[in-house]
Amino acid sequence: MAIDLTKADRTLVNEIIELGGEDILKCFQCGTCVADCPAATAEMPLRIKKLIHMIHLGLRDELLEEDSVWMCVTCTACEERCPRGVKPFEVCLAIRRWQAKEDPTYIPPALGEIFKTGHTQNVANVPELRKSLGLEEVPPTVAKFPELLKKFQEMLKCSKIVQEYGFMFGVG
Amino acid sequence: MPVFKYGFFLGCNIPAIRPDVEQAIRKTMPKLGVELVDVKGSACCPAFGTYPSADEYAALAINAWNISIAEEIGVDIMVECGSCYSSLKLGRDCLLRDEEKRKKVNEMLKVAGKKFEGKSDVRHIIDVLYNDVGTEKISRSINIKLDGIKVIAHSPCHMLRPSNVLGFDNPERPYMLRELIEALGAEVPRYSREFQCCGGAGGFKRRAHIEAVEYTKKKLDAIKEETDADLIVVSCITCLLHFDEIQKELTEKGKGNYSIPVFDYNQLLALCMGFDPKEVAAISIIPRDEIIERIIKS
Repeated sequence: MAIDLTKADRTLVNEIIELGGEDILKCFQCGTCVADCPAATAEMPLRIKKLIHMIHLGLRDELLEEDSVWMCVTCTACEERCPRGVKPFEVCLAIRRWQAKEDPTYIPPALGEIFKTGHTQNVANVPELRKSLGLEEVPPTVAKFPELLKKFQEMLKCSKIVQEYGFMFGVG
Repeated sequence: MPVFKYGFFLGCNIPAIRPDVEQAIRKTMPKLGVELVDVKGSACCPAFGTYPSADEYAALAINAWNISIAEEIGVDIMVECGSCYSSLKLGRDCLLRDEEKRKKVNEMLKVAGKKFEGKSDVRHIIDVLYNDVGTEKISRSINIKLDGIKVIAHSPCHMLRPSNVLGFDNPERPYMLRELIEALGAEVPRYSREFQCCGGAGGFKRRAHIEAVEYTKKKLDAIKEETDADLIVVSCITCLLHFDEIQKELTEKGKGNYSIPVFDYNQLLALCMGFDPKEVAAISIIPRDEIIERIIKS
């Protein structure tokens, strides 16, 4: 499909910079980031170089469709090796934040889980196993101290994401 | 007398899925002069696929929540999980560099009666073992030497990169885990894909499963074809779970026989110190009984 640059959105690049992709304008499209990216081996590959180009061109609708960015392994090889200091991994996170803002169906359900229990895994759910190893039945994390979990939740209620999408967190 | 004191940050996967790794760390570190205290009330780091992918300030606030607990105790944090290490260390760096973000995050923390000051650092357990304790002391601490045992060393990506913020080892040619294993008397064979990522973190495995399995298979094939390794040692809970799960999957799918036992470094260390395998190395998918027996008898 031909790209229609008359629809280019010049504000897109600033939105991504604002969300953490601050060095995105340094990219000169060499492709080092893609060369050793595990997720670039997928059939529908993550090509962070291409996504950065899309942002430079202001291709808003196309960027919103690119769920490949959620495949990132977070190994940060791209960030280590980028000769221009673009920090492609940070750009990856910034694109995800932008997508979650534009389309809340992108917001990972794990956010609600962490809000509810403090963890991505239910650490309070394996008391027998932990006891059999000679450990405390519930580990000394926020899972063990309800009053601290409450404070943790109060803190997160100050965040934009919980304020805007309270229903995802069982709030409001 | 302990010389070092750290807040042991547990994260989510270790206490819930592999608590035997938690026990191995709790047993071994004090024997090396590293006292561990609990980071009471700590939460998820948070993992990159969660808050950092949706709301930067919420993510930084959770980083700061965790670090502030260590600050209250007056210790640095020590962590095994690669993602926890990276998330906490990158978050801390960002908060120290950016005054405006630090101010905003501290306003959120204030509601919970907490404050981030940046006094407590975040250290990976390999950093603590290699740079605080040292290989000589580790060699002297063990009762069992791994003579004739061949161990693959796999360093987690998250303890290496981005090296300018969180690095302590060589980011492209890591050697610390290798030397820590050699300190136990084992041989650490080299192979062509030694520095390849395990492929287990983030969304790759979930969203492109076939290719992700194939990616890990390449590494496992290199280990099988180029070495006669008895076991794989990692120091990251994600690498540990991934190598264990993928080997089972590959074998079940008829792609070959993949059955190399996988250990966390402190589990191997705990066995060499004579701790009970039923407490420090009790949970695995690929059976480890045979190699544990061999280690204990050597």
